[in-house]
Amino acid sequence: MTSDQEHSERRARIVQGIVDETGVDDAMIKMLVHTFYGKVRTDELIGPVFDRVIKDWDPHLEKMCDFWSSVMLMSGRYKGNPMIAHMRLKMVRPEHFERWLALFMETAGEVCPPRAAEAFVGRAQNIARSLQMGMFYRADKFPPRAGQGAP
Amino acid sequence: MTFVVTEACIKCKYMDCVEVCPVDCFYEGENMLVIHPDECIDCGVCEPECPAEAIKSDNEMGLERWLALNAEYARKWPNITAKGTPPPDADRWKDVPDKFAKHFSENCGSEDNDDKSRAA
Repeated sequence: MTSDQEHSERRARIVQGIVDETGVDDAMIKMLVHTFYGKVRTDELIGPVFDRVIKDWDPHLEKMCDFWSSVMLMSGRYKGNPMIAHMRLKMVRPEHFERWLALFMETAGEVCPPRAAEAFVGRAQNIARSLQMGMFYRADKFPPRAGQGAP
Repeated sequence: MTFVVTEACIKCKYMDCVEVCPVDCFYEGENMLVIHPDECIDCGVCEPECPAEAIKSDNEMGLERWLALNAEYARKWPNITAKGTPPPDADRWKDVPDKFAKHFSENCGSEDNDDKSRAA
């Protein structure tokens, strides 16, 4: 029987492997998130979009630290539905995602060691692509695939 | 892009994935979980977490069938946001092949199936 304890140990080993390989920790996440959103807020293209949506930045930055801690260190601290949150933002276009990613890559390169930067950017690219698929190219705009019994 | 739950989950249903998923995109059947492809943000956290190695990226070839199954049952089964108790014999089913044909259940999971109106 695989016990809860074995599963926790297994997760701890996976996380330790990530930490050993990349050096990512909570302090690095905080530095990245705060520096990144500092740039976002002054960016001429996406700054105004964020300003319209985020009324109180402190809780948002905390939420983003929790998000990246969940994604990079499997901490489970963030729970939310970013897909729905983004789909509500009708003013957001693909070029906003491009700028977001460019700024994220730039910041990761500045504040993280190379392997950590690579890990953050890889995840960010996948997440950004996935959100864009949901926002701009939703599957339900297309006929269902064969064998997919959509109700 | 999304991650999908494949056959290896059937009758194992460890649910470790549910604990680490930041976006609560798992849905629970009687003996298997699925991922809602429109809610998954492709963060990849669940993939190494699965003891049965049932979770795959849909970048991989040959997963169309499982993607369709995930999409279908994510609409029929209730959302699961906290890990429940895995089946007592989960480990015995871990490496059993061809579980779908013999053992897949279309029934909802037991955790919060008050949402029966969505069931087929």
